[in-house]
Amino acid sequence: MRDNTLKYVLVLPAVLVVFATAIWPLMESARLSATVGRLNRPGSLDQYIGLENYTWAFFEEPSFWNSVWVTGVYTLLTVGLTTLLALGLALLLAPGGRLRSGVQTLLILPFAMSPALIGVSFRFMFNPEFGLFDAFFGVVMPPLADVSWLADPTLAFAVCVMADVWGWIPFLTLVLIGGLASIPQDTIEAAQVDGASGWRVFRDITLPQLGPVLAVVIILKSIFSLKTFDQIFMLTNGGPGTATQTLSHYIYFNGMKYGQIGYAASVAWLMVIPMILLTYLYAKYVFRKN
Amino acid sequence: MAEVILKNLSKRWGDFVGVDNQSLDIHDKEFLVLLGPSGCGKTTTMRMIAGLEEPTSGEIWIGERQVNDDLPKDRDVAMVFQNYGLYPHMTIFDNIAYPLKVRGTPKAEIRPRVERAAAQVELTQFLDRKPKALSGGQRQRVALARAIVRTPKVFLMDEPLSNLDAKLRVTMRAELKHLSRELKVTTVYVTHDQIEAMTLADRVAVMKHGIIQQLGTPDEIYNDPANLFVAGFIGSPAMNLVRGRIEGGQFLTEDGVKLSPIASEDRSEVVLGVRADDINVHEAGEGDIDAPIYAFENTGEASFLTVEWGDQRVIARGDRHLRKDQDDVVGLSLNPDHLYLFDPNTEKRIRL
Repeated sequence: MRDNTLKYVLVLPAVLVVFATAIWPLMESARLSATVGRLNRPGSLDQYIGLENYTWAFFEEPSFWNSVWVTGVYTLLTVGLTTLLALGLALLLAPGGRLRSGVQTLLILPFAMSPALIGVSFRFMFNPEFGLFDAFFGVVMPPLADVSWLADPTLAFAVCVMADVWGWIPFLTLVLIGGLASIPQDTIEAAQVDGASGWRVFRDITLPQLGPVLAVVIILKSIFSLKTFDQIFMLTNGGPGTATQTLSHYIYFNGMKYGQIGYAASVAWLMVIPMILLTYLYAKYVFRKN
Repeated sequence: MAEVILKNLSKRWGDFVGVDNQSLDIHDKEFLVLLGPSGCGKTTTMRMIAGLEEPTSGEIWIGERQVNDDLPKDRDVAMVFQNYGLYPHMTIFDNIAYPLKVRGTPKAEIRPRVERAAAQVELTQFLDRKPKALSGGQRQRVALARAIVRTPKVFLMDEPLSNLDAKLRVTMRAELKHLSRELKVTTVYVTHDQIEAMTLADRVAVMKHGIIQQLGTPDEIYNDPANLFVAGFIGSPAMNLVRGRIEGGQFLTEDGVKLSPIASEDRSEVVLGVRADDINVHEAGEGDIDAPIYAFENTGEASFLTVEWGDQRVIARGDRHLRKDQDDVVGLSLNPDHLYLFDPNTEKRIRL
């Protein structure tokens, strides 16, 4: 066999796997989004209705817009908070930073936990009867002890954000520590001697040089926040009501629980739009030419 | 403009001693070179003056002020780094302007001052570029321009030429010397290159193991070395150091080769120092001693003969027209006015 042919043969298995697990389901979901697609109605998976599912989501379903809103706020808050806190920690933990050593190892622990597990543990911690927070506030601030954290829409949302930020900080911190370590130390020292205060060194020298890494971190985290599912599912299951129902959760509910697979597929495709945009930006930063 | 005074300055990291209780007065407008091999504490000393390293003990004075507790930004020094330390995301103009900007210089004043500094280092046409678009020599000039754009009390230069290729280094060295004579600002310059030290310095401090071995003008360091280390470190080729003894006013090498009359009492253990320049080369039989040639090297501007005295080899410098071959025998005589004796145990100079 010629080398030229051989190389295609060698790649073929991988291409087939990708096709079967990614491309085909993607195309199938696109097809389903144009059908009535009720799991409990035989034949409806081939009953085409054009873009009706999409217009339904846009114009007839306030719960869709609720999920868009929840997902948007959730993404903004988790990305913002995680990035800021991770940056602060990275500055403290980076070579030449003020902490370091053993703390770094300790910090990675939350990242070793699966999101679903984080969801369950936070649910237990915020349990109003036997939760950790109940016990803690019972001693420190009794009025807060009996608050049903997960029953209040705003508080439940805040708990979701908190759990996510807690789980993601380690990874982003590690990435940012790497970014900080790659900044030449002498540019920072040069700025110090040139007369810059600590804050100005950070703003004028450190931050601009960290820029590309920071952009990658923000984009990556945005993607992960947008598609958050497991944690929410375990922690609040979208509730109370639909106060914490993100789009992924909304899609799951409509598709799996209500059997409206066609409608769920169309919402999933609506989510693809911001995802493609973010993926494009990500690729641009990661593979950018120097 | 200011003098820099170091009083009993030490820097230790655990058991490791970087700088060991050193005192040094650097005069106003002086160009002082800290010279020594890597790890001798010269860069640490400079970084302590800059405020980038905190002394373990001792005092640092710049002008009338003790600066130990001052941040680098408050010490009014300018520094040129070995790797230039340019800000990669800023244009050359912004790089040079940065010290002015952070010190709140009025905007209208910044442009003319940056342009003047750039002109002094011949960079005017590159002001809009980023550092990565410049060659090593040009980056070095940017670092220099960033230092001279203000008039700091002290210039600190940390091996500024060591990343340049050999030819460029010679050119930049001359430019640096010219510039420093024009600016007349107290300068501390760190290098491991003794030629740079000799050519640039008003005074040189030769360091080893965190201790200043000798402080003096280039002439003093070259012609009057205080110990074996300084003698062996300064000069190219390095000073010949021959182990031997003195008997009846004669220096004999370890294996008993009679070398040269010398005005000293008898000593059983001594090291004789003589520079290649101070060994005269003659035809065989015409010098004080005949020796076989181990290697003959012609550099164009001179010829260097490595000869064997017993087991020890020494280098003599001959006329540039001299042509000899390996294993030829030549006559050698030592210039009696430029012989140095050292105690091999204390490594100190024995004054004659």
